[in-house]
Amino acid sequence: MTSATLTAAQPRAARKVRRAGGPNTGTRILQSTWLVFVVLAAWWVFSARSTNFFIPSLEQILTVLVRDLGNGVIMAGALYSLANLFVGLLVAAALGIGFGLLLGEVGWLCRIVDPIIHFFRSVPQAALVPMIIGVFGLGQGPKMGTIAFACLWPILLNTIDGVLGVEPTIRKFSKVYRIPRGLHFRKVVLPAALPQIVAGVRVALPIGITVMVVSEMFASTEGLGFYILNSSATFQVPETWAGALLVGVVGYIISMLFILAERRMLRWYYASGSQ
Amino acid sequence: MTAPVQADSQLAQSTLLMKVRGMTMSYGSGTAENKILENLDLDVNTGEFISIVGPSGVGKTTLLRCLSGLLHPKAGTIEVGGAIIDGPHPDLAVVFQDYSRSLMPWMTTRENVAFPLQGKGMNKADRIRVAEENLAAVGLAGQGGKYPWEMSGGMQQRVAIARALAYNAKVLLMDEPFASVDAQTRFDLEDLVIKLKQEFGVTILLVTHDIDEALYLADKVVVIAEKPATVVDVIVTGFGEERDQVDTKADPRFGEARARILHRLRKN
Ligand SMILES: Nc1ncnc2c1ncn2[C@@H]1O[C@H](COP(=O)(O)OP(=O)(O)O)[C@@H](O)[C@H]1O
Ligand SMILES: [Mg+2]
Repeated sequence: MTSATLTAAQPRAARKVRRAGGPNTGTRILQSTWLVFVVLAAWWVFSARSTNFFIPSLEQILTVLVRDLGNGVIMAGALYSLANLFVGLLVAAALGIGFGLLLGEVGWLCRIVDPIIHFFRSVPQAALVPMIIGVFGLGQGPKMGTIAFACLWPILLNTIDGVLGVEPTIRKFSKVYRIPRGLHFRKVVLPAALPQIVAGVRVALPIGITVMVVSEMFASTEGLGFYILNSSATFQVPETWAGALLVGVVGYIISMLFILAERRMLRWYYASGSQ
Repeated sequence: MTAPVQADSQLAQSTLLMKVRGMTMSYGSGTAENKILENLDLDVNTGEFISIVGPSGVGKTTLLRCLSGLLHPKAGTIEVGGAIIDGPHPDLAVVFQDYSRSLMPWMTTRENVAFPLQGKGMNKADRIRVAEENLAAVGLAGQGGKYPWEMSGGMQQRVAIARALAYNAKVLLMDEPFASVDAQTRFDLEDLVIKLKQEFGVTILLVTHDIDEALYLADKVVVIAEKPATVVDVIVTGFGEERDQVDTKADPRFGEARARILHRLRKN
């Protein structure tokens, strides 16, 4: 399984927790976000005089966004989309972590399925959407399934990689002290592999969001993807931009929330500065 | 094997706890076979402290791995309490050479010590109590809430020892446990292990390349050498229960035994 090692996403480098006495919270937020405001301002200024039909001004985009957020058009779509994303990711995480732990521990099984994993991993996931939806139909289930399928591979690969990276001395400890198999999986292998697993989920997130949007562009009547496709088909250009912008913002917020959860879950990892 | 320097009546009476016969071990096979241990015999009596001393690379870690059930010897038998064992055994606990890596960084020290007891099916309240008792026994009372990475090397090694004690095995197997701490910490840990042996009556088999350490700690020093390695000498130290880092090492028998071991090891 050296191939898994090559392709797995790395957990972010651990470092010491921030010591007290650094810059205060307000300053820190400003330090990490000022560029966003600069870009937004530049966008606002440069798009204000746009005469290109396909490049509306930021003002127009935001006006439409606020309007459709207010009248519930986007909210309903966003909730539908996020439900798909959430369920899809959850299924992918459950399957990816479960099978990943198994494959990482059982070497011969891993060698057998390795080519299959790498094949599916290499297929552009968005390209699978029409096939899966064609086969399984248009409901919400197939959309969730597609997202789950797309997100499964990075999580699976990273879990395998994490399991293979468990400190050999800890494995010896577990063996000598006769830790029962179930306990060994839950309390030794899983926590040891968790930094890698979480990195895999972090990689899966944007893939899931892409597939979420694409899956709603196929004969769907709901969701953010539908909102974008529908407005673009009826030449409501500001709506199209508003939809895309919203997906970006939602994706960013989800990533931030994820990083917060990660810091909490992997406190030992970051604090110990290990690896 | 040569006769012991001094017969110890107390040892002669004690009961045989662990018996190793004809142990042979090699890595690889065919033309690439690398023989490490050859026809090695070892007797461990209840309550005894045995040091196994030999130069680096002779096969000390390999020997302990065979004894702890991590490796299967190519030939020979290991008996504990009269029964032949094959694989990890509840009567054997190991303190690993790279102790800091054998502690789990996602668990507090208390959880690290209590964890093997969970594997034995002990309930949570008892596990925590036993863990705290054993942490106190190694001088880490009240430190159970700390994580291993918040501790110094010497403290981590104490945690690893507490974990082995809490497991309540009859024999503690220790692989160069003090090789990577500074001299003062090393002396403290040596005295700690002597104290624990007296307090808990646990039998200890310690492997080291350090002749002084082997002599200072043990009731019996087993010298292994050559390639493949085998037992070349057994020395009963006869220093009694009380040891002192200065006085014991100044004992003429200490110097005599050291010279004998050095001489034996330099023959190769
Ligand atoms: N897993 C292994 N595979 C092959 N050779 C090994 C392995 N472990 C140790 N050896 C070899 O066996 C010999 C003894 O090693 P070891 O038992 O670690 O010695 P010691 O602990 O006495 O320093 C060394 O020559 C080493 O290179
Ligand atoms: Mg060694």
